[in-house]
Amino acid sequence: MTRIVVDNVTKRFGRVTALRRVSLDVREGELFAILGPSGCGKTTLLRVIAGFEVPEEGRVMFDDEDVTFKRPDERGAVMVFQNWALWPHMTVYDNVAYGLKVRRLPKNEIDRRVKMVLELVGLKGLENRYPHQLSGGQQQRVALARALVVEPRVLLLDEPLTNLDARLRLRLRGEIRKIQRELGITTIYVTHDQEEALALADRVAVMWNGKVVEMGTPDEIYHRPKHLFTAFFIGKTSVAEAKVIDADGNYVLLRIGDVVIRALNHGVSVDDGSAVVVFKAENARLKPMWRDCAKLVGRVLVTMYLGASLEIRLVPHGYNRDLSFYIPIEEEIPRPGEEVEIYLPVSSVHAYPVEGLELVKEILGE
Amino acid sequence: MIRKPLVRSDVASMLFVVVPLSILIMFFLAPIASITTGLLTFDWRLLLTPFYVGLSSVVSPITVTHVGGETLIAIRGFDMGVITNSVLNALIVTLATTAIGTSVAILVGLFDFPGRRLFAALAMIPLLVAPFVNAYVVKLLYGFNLQGNTVSAVLEALGLHVKIGVAGLAGVALTQILSFYTIVYVNVLATLRAVDATLIEQAVNLGSRGFKLVRSVVLPLIAPGVFTGATLAYMLSLEDVGGPIVFSFRKVISYQVYLFFRQYALIGGGGSAAALSLLMLLLAVIPMIFLRRYLSLRYYAMLTRGAPRPLRRIKLGWLGKVVAYLVVLPILVAAAAPEIGIFVLALCHRWVGPFPTGFTLNNYAVLFSEPGVFRGIENSLIYVAIAATAIAFLGFSAGYAIARVRSVVTPALDALSITPLAVPGLVMAFGYFVFLHGIARGTPLDPLISPAVVLVIAYIVRKMPFTVRSVFAGLLQIPSSVEEAAQCLGARRLRIVKNIVLPLAWRSLAAGLLLSAVYILSEVSLSVTIGALGGDITSPNHCGPITFVMMSLIQSPSTIGGAQPQAVAAAMGTILMLLEALILFAALAKLGRRGIVSIAM
Repeated sequence: MTRIVVDNVTKRFGRVTALRRVSLDVREGELFAILGPSGCGKTTLLRVIAGFEVPEEGRVMFDDEDVTFKRPDERGAVMVFQNWALWPHMTVYDNVAYGLKVRRLPKNEIDRRVKMVLELVGLKGLENRYPHQLSGGQQQRVALARALVVEPRVLLLDEPLTNLDARLRLRLRGEIRKIQRELGITTIYVTHDQEEALALADRVAVMWNGKVVEMGTPDEIYHRPKHLFTAFFIGKTSVAEAKVIDADGNYVLLRIGDVVIRALNHGVSVDDGSAVVVFKAENARLKPMWRDCAKLVGRVLVTMYLGASLEIRLVPHGYNRDLSFYIPIEEEIPRPGEEVEIYLPVSSVHAYPVEGLELVKEILGE
Repeated sequence: MIRKPLVRSDVASMLFVVVPLSILIMFFLAPIASITTGLLTFDWRLLLTPFYVGLSSVVSPITVTHVGGETLIAIRGFDMGVITNSVLNALIVTLATTAIGTSVAILVGLFDFPGRRLFAALAMIPLLVAPFVNAYVVKLLYGFNLQGNTVSAVLEALGLHVKIGVAGLAGVALTQILSFYTIVYVNVLATLRAVDATLIEQAVNLGSRGFKLVRSVVLPLIAPGVFTGATLAYMLSLEDVGGPIVFSFRKVISYQVYLFFRQYALIGGGGSAAALSLLMLLLAVIPMIFLRRYLSLRYYAMLTRGAPRPLRRIKLGWLGKVVAYLVVLPILVAAAAPEIGIFVLALCHRWVGPFPTGFTLNNYAVLFSEPGVFRGIENSLIYVAIAATAIAFLGFSAGYAIARVRSVVTPALDALSITPLAVPGLVMAFGYFVFLHGIARGTPLDPLISPAVVLVIAYIVRKMPFTVRSVFAGLLQIPSSVEEAAQCLGARRLRIVKNIVLPLAWRSLAAGLLLSAVYILSEVSLSVTIGALGGDITSPNHCGPITFVMMSLIQSPSTIGGAQPQAVAAAMGTILMLLEALILFAALAKLGRRGIVSIAM
């Protein structure tokens, strides 16, 4: 099993800096997710680890070996591409056997290993099919089998499930997790789908604007985000600007319009005057369900039925903008214009220094 | 710690860049650059004399004379000196071809009316090129002579005693317009097909119709195609030698450069040819640079969301039908007539007056029985075989390198690989002569020692861009991840090319090669200049290819093998046209219509 260390890597394409001093430490046998919006540099980072790009600064280590300048095949890192990159002119067997043929393995050994890996991914019996004769899910499995058959030190998956429908995605991500556990290969999984990252990974790195802003377990990333971007990006969230009334190391007391709430403190001090509040809006309720609650009172601007939940756009009293909250559908449905109270656990309300407001505006494209 | 970006590519991938790049530097850049060496002692004031630049025409544009009961009308255009003639003629041809080509493309591509397919078929006919013979038949049909041309004979039959025809520069212009408007037509039509139909349907939906729709929405969307077609027509007009030779109009730049090879190459002299070559190069390249800049700014025709939908044609109104049948159709027929006339000439015993006489297959027999004529066919086939083999390697390498190999010199290869299309063949021919006769005098690379070798090299360089662009376009359709997948499984570059790239891209390579081959077969400028250095067609060992033989036959005053030499040239022309049709059709099947137009043009 291989440990991967990415140390202060910077990658530029002409004038564009795709990665800015990125560092990662992926433990042996870990399934590590890189999560971020499109264009954040996550695929570039994966390609630097794979050996398709050479960084201008920094280095990539596999265990104690510096692989920064090594060719992809010299590193023993195999990548599964977003489009799977199956060779259309080769059968399933030939696609999977290719890496073994390149390594000049004897024919019976190639046969044995191809059969074994096809069984592992559940494609036994489809050896003679061509890629176009397979379903999307089967094609994805061929791509996975082709990577696994050469027994790589490191498996790199670049959004491998993006091109599949939602149901199949759920099933395959379970299978990927299972196979990865069975083989114990150190795996890096790049995705923009936060649910996929949280469900699959042992640990997650959140990327934004060419930087890793935070790294942690799915639980830490979701419930205790240290960085404003993480708080904002993970889950369904709403952002408001608030005045600081009081603050200590753990909590901060804020005023949004005329409404006073308590939030987890991420570096806000009383001297700051104002702060940015991120609500995990999907945890909202119309009744207090927790001992430690934040309560927002306001007028309903509009409601939208989303199936399992209801989106309420609430204008807090004395505030100039509406905020979205999502409540389970069994709750009583408030009407536009009606006055309601929205409750959230304080653990779902995060306050950050006001400078972060610019970042939020940038992300929202405002 | 700042690192210099490393050239990551392995040795094999650098070969894909370096080999074609070296060939292009040696056999394209160096010959072109060497043209300037002959200019150090040249007195530029010569080019300002009335022979080159005149302020007024020395011929009257139209002369009308009455002989007996007949009226003779000769349309001669103008003659204002070599340079002025070339430039003005190219501009007139560009304007006319653009107007005709664009109108026909819009009519056929946007509207539906009875006979639309006939219009489309007629407009494609001039794409088949039979150099020299085409101009010769234009002269038979529309040219001014005292025996009367076909048009005059038809007028006579209608009771009009008038002999009307074109001569001089007007004949050159008419020949060029009738065959080059198709270039504009196919470019505009291809652009029109690529335009997202919803953009036009939205305008129709808002009530825009007819001319208003065309002017306000369609024309701006297809403007890139119009400008591309216009630029190509301009360049073709500038470097055309067929029209000037057949209409015996010597005072254009192309003819003057051609004359250098006829008169001075062997004995020395002809100093103005270098200056004229350079001038021609500038005149050709400058519009091309503007076009590239313009095109890079305009791609909004495709800037819509989702996959573009094909256009449903709009019903043509009555006014449109009147224009289509009474104006456009006669032009299409007039333009297709020379190509049809070539087949008639090839099968007739004699055609010098208004109508052909006698049916014969002898013209085809002469192609094989006359050693000098047959030698041309042999030469062409050998040249094409050698050049296509070289282009397969070099063109594939260059196309692959441009698409896949990142290096500091790849952009240079990208630019250089396409530029030979923008440089007139006559300029290249002159550059080759100056360069190779200069540095390789007395060796097999000296065009006076072995013109065949030099001709093949020139063909390779000049016609390689079709293959490069075809391979490049094909590779763009193939995600590079299919190669990276093999790379991370341990395959090296050459193995990846063999196992993955070639099996996926061979169709593009084959299509590109077919195009390169057909354009070598019909190539004129190099063929009649460098190809002429090995003697004329009376010598059974001459080095000229088919087009050189056709030119010689068209100019020949005496019969050959008992046949009219022009009719033999026509027979050769028909074979060439059938080959072109066959190859273009095959390439079309490989690439799809849109691909081929963008590459072919």
